[in-house]
Amino acid sequence: MIFGMEPMTFLLVIVAIISGLYMAWNIGANDVANSMSTAVGAKAITLRQAVLIAAILNFLGAIFLGSDVKHTLEKGIVNTDMIGDPHTVMLGFLASILAAAIFVTIATWKELPVSTTHAIIGGITGFGFITGGTDAIIWGKLGEVASSWILSPVAGAVIAFLVFRSIVHFVFASGKPEESAKKFGPLFIGLTFFIIFISLFTKTHLGDMLFTGEKQIIFCSIAVFVVSAVAGIFIVGRMAIGEGYDAVEFLFRKLQIITSCYVALSHGANDVANAIAPLSVVVTTALENTSLAGSDFSYYLLALGGIGIAAGIMTWGYKVMRTLGSKITALTNTRGFSVDFGTATTVLVASRLGLPISTSHTVVGAIIGVGLAKGLEAVDLSVIKKIVYSWAFTLPAAIILSILIYRGLSIVF
Amino acid sequence: MKGKTAHTRSPVSGIYRKKSPFTGLLEHMDKVKECTSILEDALVKYYRGDIKDFDKSAKKISELEHEADLIKGNIRSHLPSSILMPVDKKYFVWLLREQDAILDHAENLAQLMDMRHTNIPIKLKELFIEHVHLVADTVNEMDKVISKVKDLVESSFVRKDREEVKSYIRNVHRKEWEADQRRYELAKEIYKMEKELPPMDIYHLLKIADWTDDIADHAENVADWMRALIAK
Repeated sequence: MIFGMEPMTFLLVIVAIISGLYMAWNIGANDVANSMSTAVGAKAITLRQAVLIAAILNFLGAIFLGSDVKHTLEKGIVNTDMIGDPHTVMLGFLASILAAAIFVTIATWKELPVSTTHAIIGGITGFGFITGGTDAIIWGKLGEVASSWILSPVAGAVIAFLVFRSIVHFVFASGKPEESAKKFGPLFIGLTFFIIFISLFTKTHLGDMLFTGEKQIIFCSIAVFVVSAVAGIFIVGRMAIGEGYDAVEFLFRKLQIITSCYVALSHGANDVANAIAPLSVVVTTALENTSLAGSDFSYYLLALGGIGIAAGIMTWGYKVMRTLGSKITALTNTRGFSVDFGTATTVLVASRLGLPISTSHTVVGAIIGVGLAKGLEAVDLSVIKKIVYSWAFTLPAAIILSILIYRGLSIVF
Repeated sequence: MKGKTAHTRSPVSGIYRKKSPFTGLLEHMDKVKECTSILEDALVKYYRGDIKDFDKSAKKISELEHEADLIKGNIRSHLPSSILMPVDKKYFVWLLREQDAILDHAENLAQLMDMRHTNIPIKLKELFIEHVHLVADTVNEMDKVISKVKDLVESSFVRKDREEVKSYIRNVHRKEWEADQRRYELAKEIYKMEKELPPMDIYHLLKIADWTDDIADHAENVADWMRALIAK
């Protein structure tokens, strides 16, 4: 007995931890770069800054905002009560995480634009299907998640479209664009802080600790909005930025530092669960008959996921960021700002709604949104087709892989 | 690993074009400007009777025309139907085509004049010189229209930029009209001389006036396509 577990169960937990960390590493190595590439490409931040921002804020997002999506992946896709046997549940979640990890590795090697999120959902659905039959799958929630995959790029597009159009309307169309930018830009920064604040504290553990009621949170969020907007106006008001459209871009280059943090935070919030949720189920189930049963390891596991993501960014992700950043030089800062804001807001809201979505696909949606707002000189829409194919391809592939791996694991364990 | 780049499964990388079609348009315009300026100088010298280096200018114009053709081809071959632009792609391609026509006509004219050194009658000299200056002015005004494309794209076609472009477009029309008037005068004078000059000279003089004027016509067409391009 190790920690009150059978040796084989303990081994299973270790394998799950390693695969979970590997998934987190993968997210850090690849997916983060996709969402940070707009800021790097628009030269708002250097590669080094991008790595630092992404690592820290993904970690914070994972810990403080990651639990809603984690909950969905643990309990929302497969009804584990229908499966019953805890050993089967453990093997199943391990199979799903291994399936996703292998699939994502192959996809990265083949450079297919697939989503980690879709892979893990496919993995969980696959094993749930063969161990508990169709009744074990919570179709309603799965439908909700699947529709969020279509809705999230659309939402990203709509928000980015509106942000860019309002920059055009309030800044570019004004007689003195640089002066208007100084007033208008900080308002969006205020709005960013407002959304982050309200997401951090509404119906969260942290919110329960610090605040007594929702009214108090809303009041404080508004205060945060006013203070950050006013502070922003004050700070940029003193900047010597020159005149004309170049000055506008220069100012938004500064503001984009904030929005790229916002993207990293939201990304951590949504994606950490892809690696951690299945692991969490394995750990919790393994500890059920031990003295540690009932203890809540959520935060430790989320932190572990955050560390895995940060490690992925620092060991490999920077290379991907550099590659992508050099390809995305066409994106100026007002555009990058709009894309960042649209992406981060969509991903953060989805995270709080417990919807596991693809950040990468949301970024694409946001870029197309700016393109539709006549903000980009040329956008290749054939990427939409590639994404649709990746949806159609990822789910069945991950499901089949998960079933095969589950069969294999049942022989070993 | 592909070269030195890391493997990614990023959908973002495929969404952008390596080079914006508008950048290509501006590069093409640079060739047009260089070409018309060479042509203007060469024609003025020619009218004054200095045809010593005309063949060199004609050759240079041909080279520029070819370089511009490559730019044009490159822009057009990178505009598949999946590309979303902030303007109507059809209008953009027509604009480019008209801009390229300026070079074609400049080349034809230079080649024609290099083939036969037609003597310009003294009383027509000044009229011819004035005419070529007006044609070059038309192209220069059109250049202002095209150069503004950078601001237009950056501001996403806000009204004040569009109004500015429209005022440049009006200048193009004015210059083109002035060039036309000069050409009519030229034609009138040339017809008056039909008894004095050999028919082949008359033919060539008319042809030179016409083909020079064609350049201004195409510059005007470019401006008109730009007008369509920025229309709300």
